Amino acid sequence: MMGLVLGIETSCDETAASVVGEDFHVLSSVIESSIDQHRAFGGVVPELAGRAHVATIGPVVRRALLDAGLDPLNPAILGIAVTSGPGLIGSLLVGLSAAKAYALAWGVPFVGVNHLEGHLFAPLLERSELEWPLMTLLVSGGHSLIVLQSGPGEHKVLGETIDDAAGEAFDKVARWLGLGYPGGPEIDHLAQSGAARSLKLPLSMTGDDYDLSFSGLKTAVVRATEKQRDLPIADVAASFQAAVTEQLLRKLRRALEYHRVKGLALAGGVAANSALRAGVTELAQEFGVEAHLPAMAMCTDNAAMIAAAGTYRLRHDGPSSFDLSAAPNWQLADVS
Amino acid sequence: MNIVAIETASPACAVGVRTTAGVEVTRVVNDGRRHTEALAGAMKTLLDEVELRPRDVNRVVVDRGPGLFTGLRVGIATAIAFSQALGCELVGVTSLEMLAGGAFDSGVRGTLVACVDARRGEIFVQSFLLDDAVNALDSARVTTAREIVTTWQANATSAAFTGDGVERYRNEFEYLPLATIIGQVVPSVHAELSLGAVRSPDEVVSPLYLREADAVANFTTRERPR
Repeated sequence: MMGLVLGIETSCDETAASVVGEDFHVLSSVIESSIDQHRAFGGVVPELAGRAHVATIGPVVRRALLDAGLDPLNPAILGIAVTSGPGLIGSLLVGLSAAKAYALAWGVPFVGVNHLEGHLFAPLLERSELEWPLMTLLVSGGHSLIVLQSGPGEHKVLGETIDDAAGEAFDKVARWLGLGYPGGPEIDHLAQSGAARSLKLPLSMTGDDYDLSFSGLKTAVVRATEKQRDLPIADVAASFQAAVTEQLLRKLRRALEYHRVKGLALAGGVAANSALRAGVTELAQEFGVEAHLPAMAMCTDNAAMIAAAGTYRLRHDGPSSFDLSAAPNWQLADVS
Repeated sequence: MNIVAIETASPACAVGVRTTAGVEVTRVVNDGRRHTEALAGAMKTLLDEVELRPRDVNRVVVDRGPGLFTGLRVGIATAIAFSQALGCELVGVTSLEMLAGGAFDSGVRGTLVACVDARRGEIFVQSFLLDDAVNALDSARVTTAREIVTTWQANATSAAFTGDGVERYRNEFEYLPLATIIGQVVPSVHAELSLGAVRSPDEVVSPLYLREADAVANFTTRERPR
């Protein structure tokens, strides 16, 4: 018997709360983003994100409880799940402190959840019955990993980026091209009308592992466009996007060749990229496995995935204690 | 009225509880800026000590700064969540008022200058007149120890100085001939409970930063026309 779990997520610029119930059914999911405050700076400013979380945490949690049909003064919940890492320390602390206070006030347990493990639970929110094992590509502004999941909460990191995250590279290239922030949707949109082979970019990370790298690609784009200033921007966007997708799919293909799985899942903000979604769908077909592409709302940071992961962690590991610290560098591989 | 007070503007984390029956307990956890780790557990311990359940709490008082930005966010996020979860009242007081109240409670009278260490060579400061009550003489602002000392040298009147801002720049303050230094590093939670008890509740409590985020300040400087 699973009860309702309140999820709280404040690891970056989104203040989010959600109530998730039986079989990971999402009863409510509220997301308030401070992204408009960060646009002018071309990236998330930690201090501004922290300030915004303090202003929004109370109303966001209240909204999530009301949307789920719960009494905000006495919600019938089993516990609280909160992102305790990885992420921006000043942002994590707001959600974590609030979660402890709600737990103390209502007399319910709380558990600190790894944000990346939260992303791995996102497919379960859309379909509670999944066939395992699952190969997951988790790509966002802060992380890029290939993860083999043998079941919910059981995962092995096969490879990860050795420098920039994929989404970070999209942001940096977009900024270089004078596009808006965040860069992913801007480049994706422009790439639709560009020629992907017009700019020759190097193949990167051709070794026999699953690690990723995007910093060199970003530099190659900068160098190439400095040499050839008349290149249409849409062609640059299309070429860069194709190079990123090529690397991700090449590594995923290798992972599928060496590990027999039942499904291929995409997670994280970059999972919204149209070229990557198309590529993953094709790859899944080729290997005869099911493709799990998250709905756009489940790609980006949300608290429903934290509530789902927290439901599992509460059941398997039990609650956290009030002295739990935020862990800004908490690796997925270190989640027990 | 059962009141819980939270103080996280300084490197220490302090909590107080005052009950309707007049029982008061306070606790200072001085563990090097570990506010998140200390706060909720300390609140639970103190409530247990006075045999109150969280549901018995009528009002939460929180120090809204100025002080350590991260500490303030931990304290205020906790106060917002705790009061919202219980449907009880929330009151914000400032760290400078708490320092003035602490000095008043220890018998200091006359002019008092409350100083909170603002880091980067600066101090958050506000002046008060302590007679039969605590009266603010000006608004909270950020400045340097040197500026405060120069101003009071020019005033040539006696005043008491208190707060971790004074401790940090003690060598400068000791030069003031008519100054009395009142040792008080952590803003007084006892004063916070007293201030919080008589204030009208706030709809919203926000941190009193008194300083822009660095990125915003730098951006503004860069964009300024030459």
